[in-house]
Amino acid sequence: MVKSVDAVVTEDLFKTYGGKEPVQALRGLSLSVKKGELFTLLGLNGAGKTTFLRIVSTQLSPTRGTVHVLGHDVLAEVDEVRKHIAVVPQDVQTYSNFTPWEYCYYFSLLRGMSKSRTIEVSERALKAVGLWELRNRTCVGLSGGEKKRAIIATALASDADVLLLDEPTSGLDAVARRRVWAVLRELVEQGSTILLTTHIMEEAEMLSDRLAIINKGNVISEGSLDEVKGLAKEKFRVIVEGSLQDLGLQNHNHVSKFGNKQIIYVGDEDEGLDLVRRALKKGLRAEIARITLEDVFVKLVGGVEDN
Amino acid sequence: MNIKTVKDAFIIAALKSIPDLKRNPSMMILIGLISAFPLFFIVVFGGQVSGGLVGAMIANISFIGLAAAIQDISFDRYMKIREMIVAMPVHPVSYAIGVAMAPLFISAPGLIFFICLAIAIGALPLVSLGWTVVALILCWAAGSSIGFIISTYLRNASVYTLNNMANILGLGLVFLPPVYYPEELLGTYRWIAIVFPTSNATGLIRFYAGLTKMPVETVLLRWIILAATVIVAVIFLSFKTRWRED
Repeated sequence: MVKSVDAVVTEDLFKTYGGKEPVQALRGLSLSVKKGELFTLLGLNGAGKTTFLRIVSTQLSPTRGTVHVLGHDVLAEVDEVRKHIAVVPQDVQTYSNFTPWEYCYYFSLLRGMSKSRTIEVSERALKAVGLWELRNRTCVGLSGGEKKRAIIATALASDADVLLLDEPTSGLDAVARRRVWAVLRELVEQGSTILLTTHIMEEAEMLSDRLAIINKGNVISEGSLDEVKGLAKEKFRVIVEGSLQDLGLQNHNHVSKFGNKQIIYVGDEDEGLDLVRRALKKGLRAEIARITLEDVFVKLVGGVEDN
Repeated sequence: MNIKTVKDAFIIAALKSIPDLKRNPSMMILIGLISAFPLFFIVVFGGQVSGGLVGAMIANISFIGLAAAIQDISFDRYMKIREMIVAMPVHPVSYAIGVAMAPLFISAPGLIFFICLAIAIGALPLVSLGWTVVALILCWAAGSSIGFIISTYLRNASVYTLNNMANILGLGLVFLPPVYYPEELLGTYRWIAIVFPTSNATGLIRFYAGLTKMPVETVLLRWIILAATVIVAVIFLSFKTRWRED
């Protein structure tokens, strides 16, 4: 039965890894990714992001629950699902004797494309990730970032409707990362759906149409960037360099300390500006900004305890 | 099994052999040389060169076949390439056959050379060529199946352990049983030759080439055991192999 026309729909998804000490990786996770959007999954290490992506990409069976990709059940209609998806696994490595061209070429052939179509999509994908000039260089002679881009190009050349990318830009330098971002956004503008995981909050902020934060195997927040950011009571952050005692803030409830620097979270802009003025009067360095996704993420998953 | 399954098997075999061969064509010579190496001692110290040539054919096809079945599967898993392939419209049978066929592309030149040489020196009559090819195919299938079993049942072993195991097993299966030497040397333990697919296939080829004698019942038994090795291996694999993990 077709559950939905959304790109990915999961309902009440559970996954428990067996063994002497079973680990519950997913605990009733439900979310939906709309067609043509870039959806980002955020979560701490071990939150269940990769497990989720591996279930959606038909590599892993769920313990309970349902997953549909473009209306096809990943368990009952696996062949149909595989026609529509392409995957970039986390920490994927490359064959040292392969060239980026061979990656795109062979993997596209395996999708059932004709030779001429394979050549066309391979060229397009390699140009998109900026590897066209290096297409015939073996991976052993490529940098880590170039190898990663070769794998991303392989996924792009698939012509798949839904791309599942598990931390695709980890290990890339800032320039390479932004090049990949541009490619991913372009693909979305052309109608592709992308579900990606990342630990890079700036990436999530720059790319996502919608995102979800998962913690301990369940979604704790889902929505647009503004909606997720709106969950935090504090809307601004003031970074102060120096002692908080000088400002009388040593007992402030929303402070993250990093040595001599601290981030003080405040409810509104006036409160933040007042704090900056006081800090400057005391000769401390201070600056105010809107809270970031990372601030919200840390608060939601409880990664750092506030003062 | 449809046309796409067969086509995909060839694409995977090409994917796993052509780039390697393009950049490292000496691999073909190396495999041939390793297989030919014992022939040197047979010639120098006196032995049955014809039988040694049959051994070289078997070694050529078995060593790399078994090693590739273990190494490719474990490396693909380690490098997460397998995750990319699983998430594609590719049948697991295509993947397995492709992985098993890839070493054939690499060992084919050596194998053809040894077959031609054996025919040229009269060690392999043309009439026995059909049986020889069947025995070689079954030997290749058995070696690959054993490799798949090891990589599947020892999936938690490190890739380095599996790599070493592949080389040791490959060499062991080629050099310990009577592949290069006549199985008659084993005396009352000659039955050991039937146990190992390599020496079993060697014995069958030697029989059809007229290099050794054995009762028809034994020949039949040897074919059954060689085929059964493949069938049993496939059954074992079907219990444990999971394209999608549980």
